[in-house]
Amino acid sequence: MKTPGRLRDWTPLLILPALAYLSVVYAGPLLGLLAKSVNDPSGWSIGPFYKFFADDYSWRVISNTVYIAVCVTLVCLVIGYPVAFALAWARGWVQIALLVAIILPLSIGVVVKAFAWQIVLRRDGIISQLFVGLGLWSEPNRLLFTETGLILGAANVFLPFMILPIYSVVKLIDPRLSEAGATLGASPVYGFRRIVLPLTLPGVVSGIAFVFSLSVSMFVIPSLLIGDRFQTLATLTGRSFLLMRDERLGSTTAVVLLAIAVAIVVASTWASRRLGGRT
Amino acid sequence: MIDQSKFLEVVGARKAFGHALVLGGVDLAMPKGEFVSLLGPSGCGKTTLLRIVAGLLAPDSGAVRLDGADLTPMPPHKRDVGVVFQNYALFPHLTVAENVAFGLAARGRPKQEIGATVTRFLDLIHMSEFAERSVRLLSGGQQQRVAVARALAVQPKLLLLDEPFSALDRKLRETMQIELKRLLRELATTAVFVTHDQDEALVMSDRIAVMNSGRIEQIADPVTVYRRPATEFVLDFVGLSSRIPGTVVGHDGARAVIETAHGRIAANTDQHSGASVVVAVRPERLRIGAAPGANTINVQFRDLSFQGSKALLHFDGNGSSQILAEIADASTDAIKPGTETSLSWAIDDTLVYPRAGSAA
Repeated sequence: MKTPGRLRDWTPLLILPALAYLSVVYAGPLLGLLAKSVNDPSGWSIGPFYKFFADDYSWRVISNTVYIAVCVTLVCLVIGYPVAFALAWARGWVQIALLVAIILPLSIGVVVKAFAWQIVLRRDGIISQLFVGLGLWSEPNRLLFTETGLILGAANVFLPFMILPIYSVVKLIDPRLSEAGATLGASPVYGFRRIVLPLTLPGVVSGIAFVFSLSVSMFVIPSLLIGDRFQTLATLTGRSFLLMRDERLGSTTAVVLLAIAVAIVVASTWASRRLGGRT
Repeated sequence: MIDQSKFLEVVGARKAFGHALVLGGVDLAMPKGEFVSLLGPSGCGKTTLLRIVAGLLAPDSGAVRLDGADLTPMPPHKRDVGVVFQNYALFPHLTVAENVAFGLAARGRPKQEIGATVTRFLDLIHMSEFAERSVRLLSGGQQQRVAVARALAVQPKLLLLDEPFSALDRKLRETMQIELKRLLRELATTAVFVTHDQDEALVMSDRIAVMNSGRIEQIADPVTVYRRPATEFVLDFVGLSSRIPGTVVGHDGARAVIETAHGRIAANTDQHSGASVVVAVRPERLRIGAAPGANTINVQFRDLSFQGSKALLHFDGNGSSQILAEIADASTDAIKPGTETSLSWAIDDTLVYPRAGSAA
């Protein structure tokens, strides 16, 4: 009689292709970048970071970056949260139409969308005409090349990344839970606050993580919608490499940007794990 | 003055989904403290009726009254009607204690009162040591108990139970039935219980409402429902029976004489002469052998199904008759397959229904 051996679990091997790919095209260059940011001609030093953080302008750029990302994330959350419910509760062709309406715009390039927004946001654009027509504005205004314009445009591009993770969670919530809450005496508002909202939090956290990390690192959208006047870490990184040919500054800003993005992903994974543990 | 027999009153509840009439004007009245089962096959409208009483579904017409108040226009959270759902619908993000506390917190009861009530109810369902556990880590039976405690903790005027035992295995189900019945009696809860399981309904109910395609066919205590089914549907749905088709050929005093393929059978019925009927009798009412003053037929024994404490004997009937008898003593070699034998039963145990398809 043969004693049955333990079956080997080969599952971890499934990540090998991704790991190989990412090491070559991502981790390698990233390490190079990191190395460049701490490599003075005189040797290894954190001088570039010291110089960067000593400069007031750098702090302006960091706060610009975080401010825009926070605003874009909030706009996406406010608009996307109810849409996720509409999508999850829709039936038949309505749901298909909604899904297509949400996913199809992803296939349109950001550049195309950004140019479309230029048409909407300029002085004689649709928003300006509408607001003047409604009497909200006394004269036509230009939203293009303003922070508001950038936030509106970026939120438009990133909205699906907020809707879809929340939708995927809402879809899994048993509609009986709300009914159970109601039969226990919970008003619709109380039931939402105590049942539905907590159960959607993991989706909200991943939506925030997606949109925030996309927003801090966006380059094309601010370049087209607000221009050089307003610098974020991503646009500054781009300028450093492409225009100023200052590879050290570019590497430094890239590393700072990376640190912010990694912090967000780690924090949201942790939060999602914690919240997920209770759902 | 509130009529005490109408603590809960449903009047003419009607509901259609599209062209399908699910509930065709149902009336139901029950006194305080009573336990009524809605028994019927799936699609008979029992869950729809339950959801209308809970306020989770609006009837097309009809009214629901509870304790003298018209519930019909009220949203569910104002009705004071608790529900135990089929899948329990426990809040997965909360602990056992938080689930039980939910209704009390929603009603804004003071913290101290909530704590005391939760403790009491967890004790009642023997779940005190699980108070801080996540409900996702509970077994099916434990979840079911938490769902009952959650619904009862707010002491609703009426408790509705939608097939709460259907996900449990048989042994556990029987234990839970007894436990729930005891708990509801202790708390003097008025309850409506939806089930498709006749045994469950017979064991638990004060009265059973047998439902079929959107109507209540009979509402009576379990013994009456079993012994005197009001319609052939009830006869068929609750328990087993022997059935012999026949025609009423005359009356002998108060009794009707029915001509069947097995000879003449006497019964107490108001069916007039010439009516096409089905004669039925419960299997445990049949005796092997002829008896004077009783209905007697001759049949051929086919086979026996042994069921532990009893055995069912199947006989070959003449024509479209189906005949089975139940015996308590399952001494299987008493008779051999193919044996001719006579069966008899009391005239008072003879049930008569108009034959489906005949002029009614």
